Amino acid sequence: MSAIKPMPPVAIEKPKAKVWNGARAIAEAVKVADVDVIAAYPIRPYTGIMNSLASMIANGEFTADIIVADSEHSQFEIVKHASAVGARVFAGSSGVGLAFAAEAIIVTALSQLPVVAAIGTRALDDPGNFGMEWSDALMFRDFGWLISWAKTVQEAADMTLVAYRVAEDRRVLLPHFIALDGAAITHVATPVVPVTKQQATEFLPPYRPPYRIDPQDGPVTKAQHIAPSLIGPEERKTIDVAQKRSKQVIAEAWKDFAKYTGREYPPFLETIGMEDAEFALIGMGAYMKDLELVASRLRSKGHKVGTVRLRYVRPFPAEELINALGGVKAAGVIEFGYSFGSPFGTGSLYHEVATSLYEADAKPTLLDFLFLGGREPTVEHFTQLAEKVIESAHKKPQKKTYWLTLRGEDI
Amino acid sequence: MSSQVAFKNIKEIPPVDYYTSGRRTCAGCGPALGYRIISKAAGPNTIFIGPTGCMYVANAHQFLTSPYAVPWHHTQLGGGGAAAIGVASALRTLMLKGKRKLEDINVVVMGGDGAMADIGFSGLSMGLSYDYQRLLYIIYDNEAYMNTGVQASSTTPWGATTTFTPAGKVKPIGNTRLKKNMALVAAAHPKVKYVATATLWPPLDLMNKVHRALNAGGPTLIHVLLPCPKGWFTNPSETVDLSRLAVETGMWVLWESIEGQFKLNYRPKPRKHVREYLAPQGRFSHLKDEDMEKIDKMIEEEWKFWEESAKLGRLVVPY
Repeated sequence: MSAIKPMPPVAIEKPKAKVWNGARAIAEAVKVADVDVIAAYPIRPYTGIMNSLASMIANGEFTADIIVADSEHSQFEIVKHASAVGARVFAGSSGVGLAFAAEAIIVTALSQLPVVAAIGTRALDDPGNFGMEWSDALMFRDFGWLISWAKTVQEAADMTLVAYRVAEDRRVLLPHFIALDGAAITHVATPVVPVTKQQATEFLPPYRPPYRIDPQDGPVTKAQHIAPSLIGPEERKTIDVAQKRSKQVIAEAWKDFAKYTGREYPPFLETIGMEDAEFALIGMGAYMKDLELVASRLRSKGHKVGTVRLRYVRPFPAEELINALGGVKAAGVIEFGYSFGSPFGTGSLYHEVATSLYEADAKPTLLDFLFLGGREPTVEHFTQLAEKVIESAHKKPQKKTYWLTLRGEDI
Repeated sequence: MSSQVAFKNIKEIPPVDYYTSGRRTCAGCGPALGYRIISKAAGPNTIFIGPTGCMYVANAHQFLTSPYAVPWHHTQLGGGGAAAIGVASALRTLMLKGKRKLEDINVVVMGGDGAMADIGFSGLSMGLSYDYQRLLYIIYDNEAYMNTGVQASSTTPWGATTTFTPAGKVKPIGNTRLKKNMALVAAAHPKVKYVATATLWPPLDLMNKVHRALNAGGPTLIHVLLPCPKGWFTNPSETVDLSRLAVETGMWVLWESIEGQFKLNYRPKPRKHVREYLAPQGRFSHLKDEDMEKIDKMIEEEWKFWEESAKLGRLVVPY
């Protein structure tokens, strides 16, 4: 198993920026990735991606089979099996749609099929909550899928191409979710520099699965019923190893991506102002832009505040996080996902950060700021919570967890 | 129109098997016999999709073996309809885009009654609404969830006991739902090219139907009744005899719909009393004479519609 070594680029193409929302930008990336089979089923807010793809295919912009499925479960079954035959595939969903597809999603990772799917993050029902929460995407953190999280529309599009490259690498062969904060990324139009067809072709080698479900490859039997005593633990370990290996592949892929497009991204963590930071704001996704604004305002007032943005939750960059937080007195996790009844009533991302920091030599005070139920946060909320983090360094905080945007609850 | 006969007599059946040893199905397993016959008829250029069911659980498990000499991929219990569409779509798209050589490849789903008539019903219906060629859905109907220990499905016949529908003092009949007719459901899909029912008897009927389905030029479905000694409480040596009795008592009607043209394949003359089919089966042993009479009456009534369909050359819904 050797690394895929693409040809070095001659010169970086610099196409003109377009104004696209996240849905359109992802669809454009899927197009240049030469995807073969797409399965669609509508649920807000991810639907726009499929609308865009359907119209591109209808207008002959690229050749792919788009299947209108009868449910999200079928959607993920369709792409799983198309991938096993050797097609490059795309799917996606949001909120309860992902919950409905859970069975098919889970087995995709265990079959090591490099399906790429977008999640327009959305609160789970009831009520028919179409606000933004992370609980849908984070439901799948435990099953072997790689999960990346975009801050901007540009990054969402770029992540899509990198996702195929990483997922299909023979050292990984795992499915890949790209999480887009509902509305904030999916529906907001910003200038985007497209990845050109040529860049995509050079960056992304054709998908060549090791054993296809195709008579050409002989009688391959896949996902056979096997007694747990025979291969149960080994199968799980295979996924574990692939997840661990993916870290190196991800780092390589982003480095290579910069070579072809000129756009550089740190692979796992984006840190701003962390070199001398005493306080850190940790989070993911689109609202990090607001947190970065808050941090820079506080800096201009003399507070050494930095931001740490996770670009991947699976694999989780624990070492990178420990390094980034070295020397920090207090940190706050800003998140949109929760686990009812969890230790100290903290959120899903907090658990990951706290587990990582348990291995750190110096542990900062760690607070958790929760935006739950889909009510929109404002810069005011982010300012309040950042001030709370600063205050906690010299005054023991009364509580660990703060619910923001909740009526009657003050920080 | 595809009404050709590929296998004229038993001597013409190819000796090669694509469903072979390396399984642990029960003695006298109807679905295993069906699998063997169906895969023979489909031939080597076939991909099988196996939703969870007996033919998933009983076809390997302990020995890291595989009985399939053609590509085979498991799909989840409710995933049969969609998985086949994924495979068919991938093959067609890869061929269309020049990423794979052009070739006729059969995609056959071997789904049980639970997988197709219950949990995978919606996906099956979706699959039948597309136009992929050489796509065949087989419902291997042993009339209950057998590998989980004989629980009723929506194709379990009236009067059968299962562990979820036991006959008791207050509820003496057992299952009181009427068997769902999946071939009729399939025939209601306008894109479907070929729908048929079959069982293990007459011997070449099933093989020829598989051949016709795969050459019909669109999605197709064959609903195959396959006796299960474990769940029917029958003697393993009687599996094929029971298939025959199901047909001869009129309990299982052999028909085809070829692009909407109805054809009755077999008329039991004279029709045997259903008692002959029910009596050897432990799952009906609690039924009284009057119950068996009731079933026989239902068959009698239903057959009027099959005869009517045969006369008109198109399906008349019998319920």
